[in-house]
Amino acid sequence: MNPQLPAIHEIWVYLSGSPLLALILTLSAYQAGVMIYEKADRNPLANPVAIAIAIVAAVITAIDMPYAKYFEGAQFVHFLLGTATVALAVPIYKGLDALRGRIFPLLAALLAGGATSILSAVGIARLLGADAAIIGGFYAKSVTAPIAMGVAERINASPTLTAVFAVTTGVLGAILVRFVMDALGMKSWWQRGFAVGVAAHGIGTSRAFSVHPEAGTYASLGMGLHGVLGAVLIPLAVHFFA
Amino acid sequence: MIAGLVQILLFQGLGEIAARFLLPLIPGPVIGLVLLLAWLRVRGSVPQSVDLVATAFSQNLGLLFVPAAVGVVMYWPHIRSNALAVAAALVVSVIATMAVTALVLRAIAKDEPE
Repeated sequence: MNPQLPAIHEIWVYLSGSPLLALILTLSAYQAGVMIYEKADRNPLANPVAIAIAIVAAVITAIDMPYAKYFEGAQFVHFLLGTATVALAVPIYKGLDALRGRIFPLLAALLAGGATSILSAVGIARLLGADAAIIGGFYAKSVTAPIAMGVAERINASPTLTAVFAVTTGVLGAILVRFVMDALGMKSWWQRGFAVGVAAHGIGTSRAFSVHPEAGTYASLGMGLHGVLGAVLIPLAVHFFA
Repeated sequence: MIAGLVQILLFQGLGEIAARFLLPLIPGPVIGLVLLLAWLRVRGSVPQSVDLVATAFSQNLGLLFVPAAVGVVMYWPHIRSNALAVAAALVVSVIATMAVTALVLRAIAKDEPE
């Protein structure tokens, strides 16, 4: 053996001390998720985000890496959530023309949907005896994760728990939207898209774009409007009721 | 591509500054979104470089959620001891939200040609 080669554990210590490991892990897990999603003919059950989260969670548990340590590296990906939120202005801008004449129905549907999201989640969680920390995580869960985490800080809920619930909501929405919309006999793509955007933000929007472009545009509109209004109204509503 | 990213980052920066000093109730990126939207309206079109970056983001949005959501490992024992409430609340709520949004939309917009 070449004496100049470092021992395996030295390489490991070096790698796990740099952000590289968490970045490689995050990106490759997501890539694996996308590959499985494509292999499964974009079946909603094979949601790429859910697969990626499961892989990363399993790996960092297996190698005994604390979450804080993982996040130190993965924060570079996480940071881009804010940038992606700003970039939402583009699909909203493109959707503005389509919005004309539909603004009232869309806003009414958004307010009804947003209220339903909070009341049903918080109501059911209270009814089934969840503790206060868990309930706090439900308030912003239908809003896109970067905004949800900002809202969580402002209402003294845990941003991480809120993000977990937001992402789970997104994944569930992406999986269930087809069945719910078919059961209700919803035919127009813009209505289906808007509903999934309001309920299941970014992950629902990704799903909508992969099914139909018009659904995708309206989903990003729904997500964007819910994000903007939610950021203002959710803290007010919480302060009002608490 | 880089020109688009620079512009979006600038608006994010403006939003963060506005959130810090003027509007503490609203997250910075949301203010950045609104400012960028206003600028696009004034400009009347989307610069190609900005469009490129925005499309790249919206197609890979899911990736950006992974780091925060892996936080589930930290809350796992807590979530598991509330498993039924959490599962029921999440599943019922997302179905109800989609259904209510879609039904309200259809009810109000029904006289419009599809």
